[in-house]
Amino acid sequence: MADTSTIRGRKGPVTYVLRFSVIAYLSVLVVWPLYEVTARTFAPIEQGAEGGIAAFLERLQDPSVTYAFQLTATCAFWAVLINTVFGVGISLLLVRYKFPGRRVLSVLVDLPMSVSPVVVGLALVLAYSSGQGWFGGVLESAGIFIIGTTPGLIMATAFVSLPLVVREIVPVLEEIGIDAELAASSLGANGWQTFRRITLPSIKWAVVYGVVLSLARSLGEFGAVKIVSPGAEFRGETATILIQNRYTNYEEPTAYAAAFVLVLASVLALVVVSLIRKPDHQ
Amino acid sequence: MSIEVSGINKKYGDFIALEDINVSLPTGQLTALLGPSGGGKSTLLRIIAGLDTADSGSVEIEGVNATRLPPQKRNVGFVFQHYAVFKHMTVAKNVAFGLEIRKRPKAEVKAKVAELLELVHLSQFAHRLPSQLSGGQRQRLALARALAVEPSVLLLDEPFGALDAKVRKELRDWLRRLHDEVHVTTVFVTHDQEEAMEVADEIVVINNGRIEQIGTPDQLYDEPANDFVMGFLGDVTRLGNVRLRPHDIELALSPAVAPGTPPAFAGTIARSLRVGFEVRLTVDVEDQGETTQVVLSRTHARALELDAGTRVWLRPATGATSVPVLGVASA
Repeated sequence: MADTSTIRGRKGPVTYVLRFSVIAYLSVLVVWPLYEVTARTFAPIEQGAEGGIAAFLERLQDPSVTYAFQLTATCAFWAVLINTVFGVGISLLLVRYKFPGRRVLSVLVDLPMSVSPVVVGLALVLAYSSGQGWFGGVLESAGIFIIGTTPGLIMATAFVSLPLVVREIVPVLEEIGIDAELAASSLGANGWQTFRRITLPSIKWAVVYGVVLSLARSLGEFGAVKIVSPGAEFRGETATILIQNRYTNYEEPTAYAAAFVLVLASVLALVVVSLIRKPDHQ
Repeated sequence: MSIEVSGINKKYGDFIALEDINVSLPTGQLTALLGPSGGGKSTLLRIIAGLDTADSGSVEIEGVNATRLPPQKRNVGFVFQHYAVFKHMTVAKNVAFGLEIRKRPKAEVKAKVAELLELVHLSQFAHRLPSQLSGGQRQRLALARALAVEPSVLLLDEPFGALDAKVRKELRDWLRRLHDEVHVTTVFVTHDQEEAMEVADEIVVINNGRIEQIGTPDQLYDEPANDFVMGFLGDVTRLGNVRLRPHDIELALSPAVAPGTPPAFAGTIARSLRVGFEVRLTVDVEDQGETTQVVLSRTHARALELDAGTRVWLRPATGATSVPVLGVASA
């Protein structure tokens, strides 16, 4: 629902100039390139060859492509799950408790947003690689390998998308205050009951919103994953890495097809988000 | 005794919120904690409820030492100033919350909820969400929710503070009647002396983290322990060397001295203000720095034909409550 106090009543020439520049800007930056990807996805590869949906689906059925999407889905699923649990926990900690280092934690949570994902990947390699990593040696002797395996990809993805969940929940927690929670505890509810029956329903939409955003982010993660993954066909090649590999190997049609699937997933996520936002603001 | 508070101290940094608070509240009594904002009364209530912890001292509820018990184990009902209703639950679900937590049988919960909604006159709203209720209705809902678990004490923190004057007055009467019906030991915090005097059996006046006086509304009004209590419970003015209530001053048009009465103070009416049924006079008393306020009924004032400039003689009425003037006036 639009807040009428933020909308100007009169439409002057400025309105139209602003409107035109925004549309032009978005077209040049977003719409046109995305249209190109879509067009190429469904275009025939060469003169006379078959184009359209059938060809697109055929490219996606290539085993290496299927593998890449499965890997991306697995990473995204676990990363989102981990981020949801930790995100809710960290948000509660940040909003509901006072402790030394709270502000430092708050800044640390935001760090993945500002640090380049490539740096994140590099840091993970330094910390966990079996050859030189700080924990790598210990983990290796325990038979656990992080770098170059799926857990490493999940870690990289989770790292990058962590703030998305926390930043959605924190303002909502601040807004709802603690009165209802205190009331619940005075009515006999213990901590877990209060959380499940009072706090969680109140932040439900924020959590869902955060999950959708971090899912979209996880599906599209490239930089951090690229460093951590071996990045070869059937070996740690996620959808985004696949796109790059195929594009540079002159297999552009496959790259376009995979890219189109990712675009589709993001658009779907945004649609879900905008549908959620409505009940949220009523 | 239902609630026994002894030796409670509480500090927030350098600020002393409560200092050596001792008070015992008998079972079934409706008590008001009265005092100015920031005086510590809400803190005391929250300490009794377990929502806040004292630095030292102990709280006993129904003979059980509750000092270290978490709020959910104290069996207290708490009502917040801003209702704190569960927004995502219907009215009936809100009331049922405490009972469901206690895993009572469904039929019992249903019957109890119906009974309580009847008690707070919200039966027809059972399936609505709190956002569809008015402020007064929400507060009644909060009360029903707190009463559902049959608490040994009911604690209300400025329960009517967020409501407008008319609803507030209705709810006040209603709370008194409810208490007469339910008889649960009740403590409520207020900064409104009229509210406290109208509703409470006993009032505890708290100021600057200390108890100034404990007593029935009449005791506090008629025998205030000090200047602060006197000033907080009603209007106060000065006549000669005492402070007393403006309506406890007798006004005459001549210095006529009846045997046994104290001498009258001569003065001139500076201003006369009529508010509804009463007339408020400001009198310049001779040889007195500050003016004296006198309140008369309109009928009385009319009979005496009083107006600005009229010369009058004032003396404390027989049996008037008064305290000696101590240094600087505070009220």
